[in-house]
Amino acid sequence: MTSAHPRSVRLAAAASALPLLALVGCAAPAATAPGAYDEWDQVLADAKGQTVQLWMYGGDDQGNAYVDDILAPAVAEYGVTLERVPVTDTRDALNRVFTELQAGRSDGTVDLIWVNGDNFRTGREADAWLCGWTDLLPSMANTDPADPLLESDFGTPVDGCEAPWHKAQFTLVYNADTVAEPPTTMAEVLDWAEANPGRFTYPAPPDFTGSVFVREVLASVSGGADEVPAAFSQAAFDELSPALYDRLTGLAPSLWRGGDTYPANEAELGQLFADGQVDMTMTYGPATLTDLVADGTYPAGTTVLPLEDGTVGNASFLGLPVNSDASAGAMVVANVALSVEQQVAKAKPDVWGQFTVLDIDGLDAADRSLFDALPQSPVVPPFDVLSRNAHGELSAEWVPALDEGWRTNVLSR
Amino acid sequence: MSFAPVPRRAGTGAARRRGALMVLPAVTVTAIVVLGGLGATLAQAFGLLPIIGPARPGIGAFTAHPDDLASAVGVSLGIAATSTAIAVTVGTAAAIVIVSGRLGGRIVAGLGAVTVTIPHLIGAATIGLLLADAGVLPRLLGIPPESWPAFVGGPWWAAVIAEFAWKESAFVALVVTGTLATRVSAFDETAALLGAGRWKRFRHVLLPLTLPSIIIAGAIGFVYALGSYEVAWLLGRTYPEPLPVLAVRLFQGVSLDSRPEAAAVAIVTSVIALATVALTFAALRRTAAWR
Repeated sequence: MTSAHPRSVRLAAAASALPLLALVGCAAPAATAPGAYDEWDQVLADAKGQTVQLWMYGGDDQGNAYVDDILAPAVAEYGVTLERVPVTDTRDALNRVFTELQAGRSDGTVDLIWVNGDNFRTGREADAWLCGWTDLLPSMANTDPADPLLESDFGTPVDGCEAPWHKAQFTLVYNADTVAEPPTTMAEVLDWAEANPGRFTYPAPPDFTGSVFVREVLASVSGGADEVPAAFSQAAFDELSPALYDRLTGLAPSLWRGGDTYPANEAELGQLFADGQVDMTMTYGPATLTDLVADGTYPAGTTVLPLEDGTVGNASFLGLPVNSDASAGAMVVANVALSVEQQVAKAKPDVWGQFTVLDIDGLDAADRSLFDALPQSPVVPPFDVLSRNAHGELSAEWVPALDEGWRTNVLSR
Repeated sequence: MSFAPVPRRAGTGAARRRGALMVLPAVTVTAIVVLGGLGATLAQAFGLLPIIGPARPGIGAFTAHPDDLASAVGVSLGIAATSTAIAVTVGTAAAIVIVSGRLGGRIVAGLGAVTVTIPHLIGAATIGLLLADAGVLPRLLGIPPESWPAFVGGPWWAAVIAEFAWKESAFVALVVTGTLATRVSAFDETAALLGAGRWKRFRHVLLPLTLPSIIIAGAIGFVYALGSYEVAWLLGRTYPEPLPVLAVRLFQGVSLDSRPEAAAVAIVTSVIALATVALTFAALRRTAAWR
């Protein structure tokens, strides 16, 4: 550049540096809780006209249909518009919140997230949740305040930072047409996999279904769920995890494709099961099985596998990001979603089949009869059967530690 | 598209300044996106932009998972190089068929134009449905899943490479066709009249004149394959991961401390892409047609 224009060059440099500076300038979140409410009437008044974006896992057609066709019209009566934003992983929603907080946005686009477990804990660490608002919800009166599943979420105290939505039970599923003698404990499941090479696999953690399977195996190789302390400690991890990874590494050659690769998520495992490439699948949402069998996606022999050592159960919640620009509307949605009518509607097998978080014994007779009258699914047993011998989730700190250990010990062996 | 040297356009200083002003809006928008995005990524990678806690500057994010990063670089380079090599070969051959002007050429041109408009995500899903163990192809052929080669999620990344090669070859074909349809065809005819055979014309006329477009199209395809997430995620295997898949997994990691590591992987990807572009320009300078 011989005939340089020093001024315009400097100007151009300054102009291009500005956006950079602007981005670097707005570091860690500066958001504070918007309008904390004391009265429900005030919430109802503010909610009128608000549009609530509910970010939730979008891979479940029944869940999508329930929110669009049943929940959205119900909240519309309060003047609230409910928009469902499908994500492939709840982390995507949480990441959106973090990114907006990082950028200093107080008018966040995420108003509600279907969340639990390590995502909830991470959000709490980053102060991304609005807290102390669930006591305001009139529907909370129908829940059991002493229910351990609602008091803490994977060991993280809920503290009114999320409203309960439904309960889930981790469930193994097999094809009764191809598995003549189904195993009855987790240890037998692993033995069965070794005796039937190529007919079993599990999603690769950090996928949440694969992750919970690894925790179930941890409980099994440790001599039972009671032998694994719920609170994470490096000492407990160092003591218990070698047996887990030894077992899974030993199992790998007997898995689908010789453990050379794993399905990336529950949907891919379900595809293998539907195609008859494996004889077992697993899910945190057994409610979806009814429809999958009815429409012929899954084989007619699809049967829930009850394990004597029980499986893990948890509750999932609706979290309200601290920078939501429609927090009143979001509270109304959470309250309606927790009402008896919505919980009953959602529990119907042909709607979504999700297990209620309400305390059924504490309901009045009329409401209780609604739950008693629910039709049974031909595939999925009722919650009290599914949750027999169930155990609670380990604390959320266990999850990333076990997932990362699985990557280094089992996946890249 | 012509690569003949263009004489410097005469003009007053005012005209040049007006020209600069005209491109300023486009340059500004590009600068905000590229510099802002890269700047934010750099700041995160070097620990200057934490989600929680104080900033801790350092290069820890680059050295946190050296094995994962090294294997990701290897896998990504392998996929991008293989698919680009196939795409350049197929695309150049297709371009020559297209400019032949026969019916076959028109069919190939139509196929190429349609292929370019299909989004990579749709392409990946299609290849997956076609080539998976229990996909359309093995079902049509009556081959059971266990006997079908592991194209999807297999050790050779066959489905991923096939998708990139298919999409990019159409892109290369269209770019090269554009070059061949210009004065190159006149040179080709002249050479034919002078008695040059097909191979000689290809070797001494077509290839040298189209080489710059081939190099540019190949470089664009290479850089795209290097940074593309969805194809590798849908059709690839869980380990080892290509760079973009590794970056997204780390970015989505629930322990917030892995975000700088994701940014570091993205920076490494960008550096490789920029180096590719630099090499491309170096190669272009050496081609006869560019000079």
